[in-house]
Amino acid sequence: MKNIVIQTTQLEKKYLTDTIETTALTGVDLQIAQSDFVAIMGPSGCGKSTLLNMLGLLDAPTAGNLYFLGENVTKAPERKRANLRRQNLGFIFQSFNLIDELTVQENIELPLFYQGVPKSEIKARVQEVMQRVGIAHRHAYFPQQLSGGQQQRVAIARAVVGKPRLILADEPTGNLDSQHGREVMLLLSELNAAGATIVMVTHSPADAEYAHRVINLFDGQVVTERMAPAVAAI
Amino acid sequence: MLKTYFLTAIRMLLRNRSYSFLNIMGLALGITCSLLLFLVVRFELSFDNFHEKGDRTYRLAIRHEADGNSGVMASIPGPITDILRQNNPGLEIITQVFGEQDGQITVPATANKPARHYREPGALGFVESDFFRMFSFGKGNLPFIERLQEPHTLILTQQLATKYFPDKEPVGQVLRLNNQLDLEVIGVIPDVPDNTDFPFKLFVSYASANELSPYEISEWGTVLSNQNLYVTLPAGADYKEIEASINRIVLPHIPKKHQDLKSFFLQPLHDVHHNEELFNYSMRVVPMEVIWAMALIGIILLLTACINFINLATGQAIKRSKEVGMRKVLGCSYRQIILQFLGETFLITFAATLLSVILTEISLPYLNQLLELKLTFSFVRDPLLLVFLGPLLVLVTLIAGLYPAYMLAGLQPIAALKNRLNTQQVAGLSLRRVLVVLQFTICQVLIICTLVVGEQMAYFRNKPLGFNKESVVLLRLPAGNATKLVSYKANLLKEPAIQKVSFTMAPPTSIIIAENGFKFNGSSEPMPFRSHTKFANEAYFNLFDIPFVAGRAFTASDTIKEFVINETMRRKLAIPTAQEALGYKLNMAGKDGIIVGVVQDFHQSSLHHELPPAIITSQLSAYYYMAAKIDMNQKEAAIRHLENIWNKAYSDDVFNYEFYDETFELFYREEVRQQTLFKIFAFIAIVIGCLGLYGLISFMVAQRTKEVGVRKVLGASALDITILFSKEFVKLVLVAFLFACPIAYYLMQKWLEDFTYRIDIPYVAFLIAGIVTLSVALITMSSKAIQAALADPVQSLKTE
Ligand SMILES: Nc1ncnc2c1ncn2[C@@H]1O[C@H](COP(=O)(O)OP(=O)(O)OP(=O)(O)O)[C@@H](O)[C@H]1O
Ligand SMILES: [Mg+2]
Repeated sequence: MKNIVIQTTQLEKKYLTDTIETTALTGVDLQIAQSDFVAIMGPSGCGKSTLLNMLGLLDAPTAGNLYFLGENVTKAPERKRANLRRQNLGFIFQSFNLIDELTVQENIELPLFYQGVPKSEIKARVQEVMQRVGIAHRHAYFPQQLSGGQQQRVAIARAVVGKPRLILADEPTGNLDSQHGREVMLLLSELNAAGATIVMVTHSPADAEYAHRVINLFDGQVVTERMAPAVAAI
Repeated sequence: MLKTYFLTAIRMLLRNRSYSFLNIMGLALGITCSLLLFLVVRFELSFDNFHEKGDRTYRLAIRHEADGNSGVMASIPGPITDILRQNNPGLEIITQVFGEQDGQITVPATANKPARHYREPGALGFVESDFFRMFSFGKGNLPFIERLQEPHTLILTQQLATKYFPDKEPVGQVLRLNNQLDLEVIGVIPDVPDNTDFPFKLFVSYASANELSPYEISEWGTVLSNQNLYVTLPAGADYKEIEASINRIVLPHIPKKHQDLKSFFLQPLHDVHHNEELFNYSMRVVPMEVIWAMALIGIILLLTACINFINLATGQAIKRSKEVGMRKVLGCSYRQIILQFLGETFLITFAATLLSVILTEISLPYLNQLLELKLTFSFVRDPLLLVFLGPLLVLVTLIAGLYPAYMLAGLQPIAALKNRLNTQQVAGLSLRRVLVVLQFTICQVLIICTLVVGEQMAYFRNKPLGFNKESVVLLRLPAGNATKLVSYKANLLKEPAIQKVSFTMAPPTSIIIAENGFKFNGSSEPMPFRSHTKFANEAYFNLFDIPFVAGRAFTASDTIKEFVINETMRRKLAIPTAQEALGYKLNMAGKDGIIVGVVQDFHQSSLHHELPPAIITSQLSAYYYMAAKIDMNQKEAAIRHLENIWNKAYSDDVFNYEFYDETFELFYREEVRQQTLFKIFAFIAIVIGCLGLYGLISFMVAQRTKEVGVRKVLGASALDITILFSKEFVKLVLVAFLFACPIAYYLMQKWLEDFTYRIDIPYVAFLIAGIVTLSVALITMSSKAIQAALADPVQSLKTE
């Protein structure tokens, strides 16, 4: 039996705004194992991002249960969740979300600072990650001075530098052209091959091909789940 | 970690230069004002706080009451001191002080230098050696003070010692005072500090004062306001008990004709600088209410600046939300975010504080000039300033930074990342509205107060005084020596530029006030109230244009012969008409005479006070001034002529003159100062308020950029867009106005209560305040709104 990183049972999320209640997720049962590469697909508004936010402990579900490394974190307070995020999770967003006032290097250093990694170690680890995503020569640039693909690579570097148990990516190629998109997907595959667990939301069937497993959402519910054949890196 | 916070903060500040500028400037202005006011307040509170025995030292003061009129004075007739000394109720030190308005010092001629004359106005104090035991002027043991008990001795301050004897040992030298007395310099002490109400530079032995005519300070006689008695209580003594003993001991000794002296009380030394009812030697009394008002204005300005900061910072939050969101995603805790933003606020506050130190340095000389103070600002000499600035820095950081930090830290990470702040901002925006209303209220209250104070001042200046103060030159005559110049009277009038001359104790409104008891209508009993007495020659009425209601001026005489009274005196004497007053007998200072004229009331002291009953009569020995009405077109010729004649009459006295209307302004010096303060700080409050307004508007415009774009695509004009934003602010200004009016009304009502002659609160001041703030708001507003309205709609739609 593989190690389960995250598990949900009958997960439900309702948004309550003024008088309108939106059910974004309902009855979601899910298991993500160590070294999995999972793609979540589905039409716009079906709850993909919502699910990812639950898995990333950025938002709390309204019903059901959420287990992180076997521990029930459904009702964990924000302090505890921030702690878990800091230690175990890496995030990649469609819009990169780099901090404009920090350089590439400083952006990547950030998670390590929050983890309290010693200064001397930070330097080396950031250097190594930058090499890996091929951004080292731009380490002193500010995000605005980079192309979209480069920015996303910085975001990926930032997501993995803390050696998270789980990487969550919400349409990582959504803002990129196909060439840059492919680069990013290859990078994620490499990371996965090296042992990282990845959950990725995507609209692109081509991107989904890189995953081991595809979960289809419709109207807040899991409709199908199929195993994808592992794609050999070209 | 700190480094990245610091870097983010610095880069953020640099990227948003206009925001940073507004923020730092607003805070710097607020801090500068509070720093300046702190210096003023601290200075005014520091008067005579450096005397070792200061906390048990008191001035003896008298409550007098006659015929329903009561008042207090600190003038103690000499005999009271003797009575106290003979029956000492346990006082550690009793000492009398006599401060002189004016005096001339002559440094005698030497082999190679002619004699030199110096006028030393206000610098002359007659004191006993105990004065230096009571007050800590000069350091340590001053053995020479003992000799101050002898007549004809004198102690100099360092400054005058150097001035008089630049190349000689001053001790042992002789100086001549008022061409009457030779005084031996027995010692030199350091200059007295600025914060004392004993601003003397020459300490003359008290025993000498009696020899100087025209004073009779050891007699009951005329009470002089500059004759004070100070006492130091033994440590631990109950001052109420001692006060009671003093009353018990002294009251039975008071002669019958001074029965209006009802009781004695001890005025604490620290009260001398703040009690408006009593005189002090620095001639500057700053009531505690004024000091509180200044402190309050300082706090209010600081608060305005903080409010400003909160407005700008929360407006800025939109730009920061993505960063905060990302930091939270990365697992940054609530506390860390709070600390980060408080740190940033601290940085801004720190920059603002540095800037305000520079601004203070630059503006202090101007403030000193405006307020006629000698405030200093130096961290080296005054480490206490750091004690003020340190906590101020922390406090401002907390007040200004806590809310924006708390607001940002409370953001949901996902919402923050998506800039989906609107729902969460609703609460913030309404708080910001409250803050803006508060700011406008402060601005309006300050504007209204400034206008009302200004109006009252204008009223003072234009109020009919009952005499004419224009074109009058006053010469202060050598003490008790008017005679010589009187003999040159005809000569004086030969110069056509000099139209009239009169000799007098004091001009109609003056700080020199003589109060005398008198007898009326042949009675042997003195009247139960005192008269304000003006000693003057017959030309006085004509020179100052004081109109007669009945009768005429008294005939020329060198002594008391006939009397002129004012209307108030006639009423107090219960004489029905002015005509009937003529012929009544009066007796003053043992001299009989009849009333020959009744004049209209004229003002004798500042308009704070009621018009007193007055008697004007001749008495050559009491003339301290010559007044000359001159042709202002030939001012120079007139002054030159006066100087020529003066030099003939008084070869040993330095010529001096003043224009009466200028001296007159000094009466309202404190009010003018307060008005100046109000003006400056109201202006700054408005500037800070505008900065905050600008911040709020920028925020709203930024938040609604998309809406503006859509509206424009749909065909709205620039004017429509401006109106869209203006509505909100007109509302805020109006709400502020509703608060400001009653507050300002109440404050001004209180302030005006102090004046016997005062204006009704002008309602137009309220109107002006409303219009000014509204215009300022609208102008700031429209500049920003038009900018948004004119922007390319496509551009504004694209910005997400
Ligand atoms: N903060 C929110 N408040 C209210 N409703 C929300 C909120 N966030 C999402 N929803 C609603 O929940 C549903 C799911 O949204 P979600 O963002 O998860 O969709 P998605 O699958 O990620 O769509 P897309 O592919 O367009 O990104 C939608 O109907 C959306 O309107
Ligand atoms: Mg989505």
